[in-house]
Amino acid sequence: MSTGTISTDTSHQLKCVVVTPEKTLFDEAVEFVALPAFDGELGICPGHTPVIARLGYGELRTRVGATIKRYFIDGGFAQIRDNVVTVLTSRAIPAALVSGPAAATELATAQARTAKTDLEQAEKAKAISRARALFRIASH
Amino acid sequence: MAKARAIVKRRKAVQNIKKITRTMELIATAKFKKALDRATEAEAYTRKIAELVADLGATAGDVSHPLLQDRPEPKKSLLLVLTSNRGLAGGYNGNVLRAATRALTDANTDGISVSTEVAGRRGIVFLKYRGLTPDATYTQFEDKPQFDEVEPIADKYIGMFLRGEIDRLDVAYTRFINAARQTAVVDTLLPMSVAQVGQVVESVRHAKQAEMSKSTRKGEPVPYEFLPDAASILEEIVPVSFKVRLFKTFLDAAVSEQISRMVAMRGATENADEMIKALSRLYNRARQSQITGELAEIIGGAAALE
Repeated sequence: MSTGTISTDTSHQLKCVVVTPEKTLFDEAVEFVALPAFDGELGICPGHTPVIARLGYGELRTRVGATIKRYFIDGGFAQIRDNVVTVLTSRAIPAALVSGPAAATELATAQARTAKTDLEQAEKAKAISRARALFRIASH
Repeated sequence: MAKARAIVKRRKAVQNIKKITRTMELIATAKFKKALDRATEAEAYTRKIAELVADLGATAGDVSHPLLQDRPEPKKSLLLVLTSNRGLAGGYNGNVLRAATRALTDANTDGISVSTEVAGRRGIVFLKYRGLTPDATYTQFEDKPQFDEVEPIADKYIGMFLRGEIDRLDVAYTRFINAARQTAVVDTLLPMSVAQVGQVVESVRHAKQAEMSKSTRKGEPVPYEFLPDAASILEEIVPVSFKVRLFKTFLDAAVSEQISRMVAMRGATENADEMIKALSRLYNRARQSQITGELAEIIGGAAALE
């Protein structure tokens, strides 16, 4: 196995970069990142192997010491390489700004949607999972 | 005296207009800088997407996505025209609308029925004048288009394209090439081509950047682990890439609008300056001839008394 390119140095700090289509929202050194991958949470510590992952709706957590920052991530992609975690998402909202009641109404409207075709059903499922993720973060 | 006074009045009016155009120029300059900053910040995303596509492309092979399917005989297309809400921006709106009109006539000769959507009051007024009714109008886009505002529109287009309501999506807008050059163009955004998915931007500046990032990333490819797998990630990137491309047209249009206004207002201010000078000269001459006339009258009157 060619481990030469993979950084095995775990003493390094991770860098976490969150990029939205409008701007680079977050660019800081962190100790730990938890990403909402499409099939569940993905935790990353320094020295992780290179990964490209599809993200689902959910919570991005970064930790430096005892301070934890939380964001709602609206899908997208993550690239991990050379101790840099790049998150590409259309929207990243600080968890403090996610409102519970708004998420609840969003969930209700998403569930009330009529979906007849496959396309509509897929859209509905997406809307529901997004609203649920929002709700989860708000009630955290 | 009447003539000289009229000139003074006119000069005052020109001076006031100059004040206004000068202020508009300053405002446009400030807005242009902000808009350009936004456009540059937004590039980080496009660059990263391009990088991902390049990384994935090596592993994934062929991608198939409904948005990439070329429809051989397009019957219905949609033309989105991006104009400004306000005028006094030189040829900005005129150029875009001219390009849009050309695209419309071209489509008509090809037998494609085109529906139009317009952003900006200027375009709406123009189409009304031409007797066309746009399917949708947007006036919420000013100098700072938000992704949150553009995304629903992009989603709508994706839906329309997937349902077969449109076979093609064109956008008429002003592309920002650099601070000195912007051109009105009509770009086809849907269907996309595979090359476009990973494309950063066409301009020279970006080409340089791409080259730089390429040269730094030479050597053996990074052994990525893909979650879930390269092909399906690439498929997910396609709609995202479309949204970003659409967003970029809005950003470009916003930057170009401010530049056009800045240039137009600078020209207006310079013209006002010239006009003030010419009027001052005219006024001085009128005053002098009046004095001469009065002197002649006095001398003539004195001579008559002798």
